[in-house]
Amino acid sequence: MIQARRLMKKYDNGVLALENLSLHIKKGEFVFLVGPSGAGKSTFLNLVIRRETPTDGFLSVAGRNVALLKKQEIPFFRRRIGYIFQDYKLFPNKTVRENVSFALEVIEVDPGEIRKRVNFVLDLVGLIHKAEVFPSELSGGEQQRVSLARAIVNRPLLLLADEPTGNLDPDTSWEIMELLREINRRGTTIVMATHNREIVNRMQKRVIALEKGRLVRDESKGGYAVEA
Amino acid sequence: MKLRTFRYFFREAWRGLVRNRLMSLTAMGTIAIALVLLGVFSLITTNLQYFGNLALGRIEIRAFLSESARNHELLKAEIQAIPGVQRVEFVSKEEGARWLEKALGNKGLFLDGENPLPNSFNIHPARGADVEKIAGQVRRVAGVDEVVYGRDFVRLLHLAVRLIWVLGFGLLFLVMLAVLYIVVNTIQMTVYARRKEIEIMKLVGATDWFIRWPFMLEGIILGIGGALIAVVIVLEAYAFLSNRLGQVSTVLSLLTRAEITPYVIGGFFGVGVLFGALGSLLSVKRYLGI
Repeated sequence: MIQARRLMKKYDNGVLALENLSLHIKKGEFVFLVGPSGAGKSTFLNLVIRRETPTDGFLSVAGRNVALLKKQEIPFFRRRIGYIFQDYKLFPNKTVRENVSFALEVIEVDPGEIRKRVNFVLDLVGLIHKAEVFPSELSGGEQQRVSLARAIVNRPLLLLADEPTGNLDPDTSWEIMELLREINRRGTTIVMATHNREIVNRMQKRVIALEKGRLVRDESKGGYAVEA
Repeated sequence: MKLRTFRYFFREAWRGLVRNRLMSLTAMGTIAIALVLLGVFSLITTNLQYFGNLALGRIEIRAFLSESARNHELLKAEIQAIPGVQRVEFVSKEEGARWLEKALGNKGLFLDGENPLPNSFNIHPARGADVEKIAGQVRRVAGVDEVVYGRDFVRLLHLAVRLIWVLGFGLLFLVMLAVLYIVVNTIQMTVYARRKEIEIMKLVGATDWFIRWPFMLEGIILGIGGALIAVVIVLEAYAFLSNRLGQVSTVLSLLTRAEITPYVIGGFFGVGVLFGALGSLLSVKRYLGI
């Protein structure tokens, strides 16, 4: 699903965010991306979704070399990738249903189909009863579930999560993790950048650790840190 | 693009306009003012040009023939064949003398029956602008002795018409830039308010054009609104002023309102729509780069 070889990203201000990163994430995997702030986790995710372009090296996502994507191909490439954020990025003036529908409206899916799929994902994240509510009336965990519903409503091959539990308490975080696990079980590859030590240790999934832009550890069933 | 999608675009454009209604109205008003200025400039320019050309068109060329000149009919045909010549009249020496006597109010001007005037032609150019060119060609016709026309006057008028054109359109250009600047700034506010929306749209795979359309429509609506106001103001004011001018002077004949109406409407709406759309595109541009 994601293949990187000697991937480099250097910003215009001279910061070297990624250095010689090589990794391979297979279809259907659940991967944690860990490391201190500034280690290059977000940069990596931004490269995967082609918000940024690699300075050097090779990166292929879902069979496409991202550096070679033409500008007009990028939207279509992104339609196969879901993305959730620490701050949910929901529209405050749209209801839960409208927030989720939005992802399908902008890619011009038929209204009947939109309704069907939105109901399905809202049911999956357990918020169908709050479909007509505005985000401000929801708890943080609920908002993240809406954001998750929006990310998966277009049935992505790959789901990227950038600190999705960063603003949530432990119990709520677990609800999100359960959902992610369920989505992964249905076949979506998941790459999640996180600082949450407890979640990583308990999930026992593959862990890729970055430090100063370099890969320092890649374990198939690992914890947040190497036990001393 | 699906019809439903266009409905979505219109809804979004309308939302943008309503959300920033004060700014939208201001922008519409400013576009209207700019277009009125534009109209005033171009109407003054075209009327001066019209007047200049009218004056040039009344100019005629006189070609005096040598004593040994050939058959008048042949010469007339030759001059008539010069491009840009509308009409040629033969004026015999007798007619010339009569005309001169009448003009000077002196009956027995040529007492001894001797008429020193040569035969001549009065040549009317189709377009005043061609006077010099035609005069030059007439001069080369065998049998033509001398060509007379108000050369300095023609040159001056020519220069004036051209100067008005250049100055007028230079100013027009500046006004257009101002219009663009205003539109960009207005739309920028809507775009800024929706930058997060744009980011999400980009991430879920909306195409750039899908994102641009609502803003484009917003700009176009502002342009059309501004143009509408400006058309009404300019046409009404023009009718009023040309009417007044007509009462004051009969020499200064302006283009009629009916004559300018299609150009004012076409021009204003064209400029309004074009600048509205262009302004929007420019303001969205920097938010699309992710």
